[in-house]
Amino acid sequence: MKKAIVTVLAILVAASVAALAGRAEAAPAKAQDVSIVGTGATFPFPLISKWIPELGKALGISLTYSPTGSGAGIAGVTARTVDFGASDAPLSPDQLAACKGCVVIPWALSATSIPYNIPGLTGRLKLDGPTLANIYLGKITNWNDPAITSLNGGVTLPDLKITPVYRSDGSGTTYNFTEYLASVSREWKEGVGFSTAVSWKAGVGARGSSGVAGVVKSTPGALTYVDVAYSLQNTFTFAQVKNRAGKFATPGLRGIQAALSKVPDKVTELSQLKIVDPPAAAGPLAYPIVTFTYVIVPTDAKKAADLRKMVYWAVTQGQKFGPPLLFQPLPKPVQAFAYREIKKIGTAAGA
Amino acid sequence: MNSTPSAETLAPEHALERQGLRLGDVLFKGVALAASALAVAVLALIAWKVIDLAWPSITDFGLSFIWTEAWDPVRNVYGALTFIYGTAVTSFIALLLATPISIAIALFLTEIAPRRVAAPIATMVELLAAIPSVVLGLWGILVFGPWVRDNLEPALGSAFGFIPLFSGSPSQAGLLPAALVLTIMIIPITSAICRELFSRVPKDLMDGAMALGTTRWEAIRSVLLAYAAPGIAAAVLLGLGRAFGEAIAISQVIGGSDRIDTASLFAPGDALGARIAAQFQGADSVLLQGSLLYLAAILMVISLLTNVAAQVIVRRFEKQRRAV
Repeated sequence: MKKAIVTVLAILVAASVAALAGRAEAAPAKAQDVSIVGTGATFPFPLISKWIPELGKALGISLTYSPTGSGAGIAGVTARTVDFGASDAPLSPDQLAACKGCVVIPWALSATSIPYNIPGLTGRLKLDGPTLANIYLGKITNWNDPAITSLNGGVTLPDLKITPVYRSDGSGTTYNFTEYLASVSREWKEGVGFSTAVSWKAGVGARGSSGVAGVVKSTPGALTYVDVAYSLQNTFTFAQVKNRAGKFATPGLRGIQAALSKVPDKVTELSQLKIVDPPAAAGPLAYPIVTFTYVIVPTDAKKAADLRKMVYWAVTQGQKFGPPLLFQPLPKPVQAFAYREIKKIGTAAGA
Repeated sequence: MNSTPSAETLAPEHALERQGLRLGDVLFKGVALAASALAVAVLALIAWKVIDLAWPSITDFGLSFIWTEAWDPVRNVYGALTFIYGTAVTSFIALLLATPISIAIALFLTEIAPRRVAAPIATMVELLAAIPSVVLGLWGILVFGPWVRDNLEPALGSAFGFIPLFSGSPSQAGLLPAALVLTIMIIPITSAICRELFSRVPKDLMDGAMALGTTRWEAIRSVLLAYAAPGIAAAVLLGLGRAFGEAIAISQVIGGSDRIDTASLFAPGDALGARIAAQFQGADSVLLQGSLLYLAAILMVISLLTNVAAQVIVRRFEKQRRAV
């Protein structure tokens, strides 16, 4: 018996030594493969999933990305537990200071859609900002409310309770949506405000895009907000939202492109990339709930050269994978801004 | 081993064995001591770290955090009342429902069912505990929640609607669905312990009671349940501990509300563990993170108190039994 145990132990030890030796030999052989780890926003995840195999082919970079939410992306890169973070919300001045020399680079552009579940409604629902705000403030509670029926002239809406559904976890999509509500409703701005998580006045919370989608699917009368790529992948019907030009816009590529009218020809700072609720001059197509989403890289990053290569690839070649997922390629001025910011990666001490 | 030549000359093999045994004893003692010290150290370190990270919130809000009903990441104002209420209500309902069901399951399996039926049922009840809580939560959102909303809550509303607890409009995500999911989660634990307890009640006691002319139910009530009472109390409190600590499934079905709007059980609410699970990863300000850990500290204190209560109850029962 004892002998048997000793033999087994010996075999195990031998096996692990062999395994370790094998690894040591195998390691240099794969040296050209660089691994980069990132975490953060779920919003760009459909696009990043497309990038991962392409990055491997083009640059030999093996990218690992966990969609944990924008807040987690900011926290992760601040603590340097990952090589980069991703967030739909640009860093606040406090967060930027805490991150100690991080650069924030726009790397994707898309819209937040408003899916709903109204049994029997065949046409596309039309909404405007103040109505959306009032639904989430708990002031409009039924689908046959005059405020909604007047927007949907001619369509009869059912006598059905509205269940607004929100993300109970911190989310960049929440940031984008509440930023929009705050810009169209004074009451929202003063009573609730905008952030990755806010104090909701009405409705039901659920975790993650899949959570809110689950509640909407199984609740007649429910309405929520998710990134348009998610809506598309799950074949949700989503609302048209009224823009400043007075037209009802769809979160398609043309709607996103039109919303960029405010972006100047030369971008010098992130605040110029706030594009929710574009002015009437943006035209009839502009969809009002559009956002850039950002990658956050420390300037003292250890893998600076590879991170520079990766982000550069993402904002150039990577953009062409966007349109099928309703990610609009970055406009030229934003790309130029990104190039300048990419150059800062690796300039800080410790790189 | 050569250092003890006298033993070797006397009975070499025995001496070796004895020495080996002694070495084994020392090793065993060491390992056991290290393991328990490690457990204590890990708990102490975790408690220290939780309080350390919660400190910004503790200094900012003080004890009033506990009875403040607020959760506003925009204005950085936080309070725990909504979550303490949610945890207390859902756990209490779960306990209220799970205890009699668990005892009934255990009685059925030990006293009533023939062995051939009992074994597979026992396994299936225990398998209920093997369902990952995130899967149970998903089932809660997609299947169970809508059923509660469309059938159970309207029925409760029409029967007991005059009680504020059962008034208001049905919702698939809320305190009641959360409490029911919790019930499903604690039944396997409580019933497994109860089954173990009942199977250890001496058969003679039951036979004796029946020989004295009691019916089966009377024997179960006056002998079996009385004998196992302290154990049942401990099992229930273990289930309560599980209910307090559950986070993932609850965060999916409780509705993530920031406030206590009504007394209705149908309304969305939130619980301590669920709020931590939902928001910790995305906590991007020091005060939000601190407040979430403050919630964790409150949860730890509540669990500690429950444990102490369990021990007190068990001891009191034992004393009573000895007195009888």
